Amino acid sequence: MAQPGFEPPGSGDFIFTPIFGNSILATKPVLLLFFSVILISAFFIVSSRKAAVVPSKLQFAGESIYSFVRDGIGRDVIGHEFQRFVPFLFTIFTFILTNNLFGIIPFMQFPTMSHIGFPVSITIFVYLVYHYVAIKKHGLGKYLKDMCFMPGIPKPMYVLLAPLEFLTYFAIRPLTLAMRLFGNMFAGHLLLMLFTLGGEYLLGSAWVIKIFSAISFSLAIGLSFFEMGIQCLQAYIFTLLVALYIAGALADEH
Amino acid sequence: MTGTLSIVGFGLSTIGPGTATGLIFAAYISGVARQPEARSILQPIAFLGFALAEALAIFGLVLAFVLK
Amino acid sequence: MSTSEESAFWTILSYLIAGLLLWCGIGLLVDHFLKTNFFVLIGMAIGLASSLYLIWVRFIRIDSNK
Repeated sequence: MAQPGFEPPGSGDFIFTPIFGNSILATKPVLLLFFSVILISAFFIVSSRKAAVVPSKLQFAGESIYSFVRDGIGRDVIGHEFQRFVPFLFTIFTFILTNNLFGIIPFMQFPTMSHIGFPVSITIFVYLVYHYVAIKKHGLGKYLKDMCFMPGIPKPMYVLLAPLEFLTYFAIRPLTLAMRLFGNMFAGHLLLMLFTLGGEYLLGSAWVIKIFSAISFSLAIGLSFFEMGIQCLQAYIFTLLVALYIAGALADEH
Repeated sequence: MTGTLSIVGFGLSTIGPGTATGLIFAAYISGVARQPEARSILQPIAFLGFALAEALAIFGLVLAFVLK
Repeated sequence: MSTSEESAFWTILSYLIAGLLLWCGIGLLVDHFLKTNFFVLIGMAIGLASSLYLIWVRFIRIDSNK
C-alpha cells in the first residue's frame, strides 16, 4: 500500500496563524485567554450576586472554590497575615485552572499555558510580589543577608553556599515555577495529540490494523481524564508554591 | 525526526531516580502512617534519600547538555 | 504530606539544579577560555558536593538536632 508515512505531532503544531486579521492578538491562545477572563468574571459575579445565608447551588460552587483557596492554601501556608494575599492567590488559581482545563474541553482543546509566554508572565508577577513583600518587611540589606548567610556553618563555606542561595532565590525558583506549568501542559497536549492523530492515521490502513486504531482512540479518551487530573493538580501546585514563597518572604529568618 | 541521542539517554536515565523517589516517599508515608510520632526521625532520612536520588537525575540532565 | 514537607521537597530540587548549573557553567567557561575539557567535570563535582552540603545543613542537620 502506498501511503504517506505518519508524521508525529511536534512543537510546530503549537504555532497558530491569526484567526482574523494579521495581529498576533487574534491567535487561538490569546482569544482563549480573553475568553477565560470573561468566563471567570461572569461565573463569580453571577454566583455571588444573590448571596444568601442558605446558598444556591451556584453560590455554593463559587464559595467552595474560594474557601478552598483561602483556607487550604492561604491560611495553612502563609499564617496570620494571609488575608492580604487571598485575592492574589485566588486570581492565580482560577485563572490557571480555567486555562488548563481548556485543554480537554471539546472544540477548544488547547491549554493556553502550553505557550511559554503565559506562565512566564504570571511568574514575573509572582516574582515581583514576593520580593517586594520581603524587601518591604525586612529592608533590602537584611533580606539579602538573611538569604545568603545562614548561621551555624564554618566561615569558608559561605564562598560555596552564598552564590548558590542567591541563584536559587533569584533565578531557579521562578524558572522552575514557570517551566513546571509549561512543561506539564505542553507534554500533556502533545500526548493527547499523538494518540488522536495516530488513531486517525491507523484508520486509513488495512482492516486488521483498524483494531489498533480503536485502542489508540480509547487511550486518547482515557488519557484525557488523566490530563484533567494533572491540570487541576498543576493549578493547585502553582498556587501552593506561590503561597510558600510569600510565606518564606514574610518569615523572620529564611 | 531530528534530535540528539543525548536527550533519549536522559529520558532513560530518569527512570531510575523516578522509581527511587517513588519508593522513598512510599516508605516514608507508610512509616509515618504506622507511627506518627516517628515523623521527626524519618523526615531527614527521607529528604536525604530524595536529595541523593534526585541529584543523579539532575546529573543526567547536565550530562545530556554537556556531552557532545 | 504537610506543606512543610512539600516546601522542603521543591527547595531541595531547586538547590540541586542551582548548584549543578552554577558550577557546570563556571567549568564550561573555564574550558572555553583555556581550551581544556576537564574543568566541566570538576565543576560538576563541586556543584553536586556544595548543593548536597547545603541540603544537609538546611534540612537534615537542623532537623535531627531538634
